[in-house]
Amino acid sequence: MILLTILLMTGITFTTRYLFLHPNLPIKLSPQMSSLLNFSAPAVLTAIWVPIIFVQDNKLITNLSDPYLVAATIAILVSIKTKSVYWTVGLSVLTFTVVRYVI
Amino acid sequence: MSIKKQAMKKMALKGFVDMLPLNLAVIPWGILCGSLAIQRDFSVLEALLMPLLVFAGAAQLVATELIASNASMATILFTVFIISSRHFLYGLALRDKLKTLPLTKRLGIAFVLTDELFALSMHKKSLRGKLRVVYGLAAGISFYLGWLLWNVIGIIAGSYLPDLTSLGLDFAIAATFIALVIPTITTIPILVTVVVAAILSVVFKLWHWQLDLVAAAIIAMVCGYLSLQLQTKFKTIDKRQGSVS
Repeated sequence: MILLTILLMTGITFTTRYLFLHPNLPIKLSPQMSSLLNFSAPAVLTAIWVPIIFVQDNKLITNLSDPYLVAATIAILVSIKTKSVYWTVGLSVLTFTVVRYVI
Repeated sequence: MSIKKQAMKKMALKGFVDMLPLNLAVIPWGILCGSLAIQRDFSVLEALLMPLLVFAGAAQLVATELIASNASMATILFTVFIISSRHFLYGLALRDKLKTLPLTKRLGIAFVLTDELFALSMHKKSLRGKLRVVYGLAAGISFYLGWLLWNVIGIIAGSYLPDLTSLGLDFAIAATFIALVIPTITTIPILVTVVVAAILSVVFKLWHWQLDLVAAAIIAMVCGYLSLQLQTKFKTIDKRQGSVS
């Protein structure tokens, strides 16, 4: 039973990824639609990371010294300054660890 | 080896390597997914098939819990569908670049089209032309292998691991997305998009909407698009006034 569920789930995740890449689909993206879709990356990715920082245990964080908040602030500053994924992740994860487990 | 082949190889290697920081960021989640499956009484084969075939983060985790709690098949599949529905946006956004690819490459990219690969392909030129497709494909495969490896470690460590969810390891994922999104905020419409997505995603999450992520993203996209329209409108007015005076 679990096997069947896994196979069906595979069908779903793959279909959601593949569907709109299929050439014979009767849709043509208008210039307006393409322009709208240009905003999909910042929109979706922001909607993924912001709740990780601000929502914990189904509640909005209120503590300004929360390790997530402090480390995310560092991450934003480092990413503006360096534009490097390595530096941003490295320094902010370090900050997170220090604030959470050391201080 | 011909120059063309060499260039392909170089791009493939670059794609593979460029994805590594994102691979590292999901180590805790991958291990968690693998060990959770074993802790919830999945067989080793079943636990392996999750990253091998389903290849998803949140969907894999939630489905594991649902299967373990004997939820109905319809509930499990519907939940997986909702969580995966953001991929429709990725497909639409990349459609014009990828629909003309040969079938195997198209299927390949689709299979490894994760949040991470989409994030890495944000640039206008990404995935345009053979070399960039090879780069994207290699990056996607890199992430696939990484995810598989972390899952396997979780499966082996299995029940020896403590509950990893309480350690705050998800911060690394947020950090990679911050690193990829923040530098792309170069125009006011993108800033509007990010701010709207940020606020709405938190509000919808607190409201426990199942479609929180997708709803927040779509509204944010529309806001970004509208501010771009406004911006162009004002620019043309400015130009006209400029030419009059």
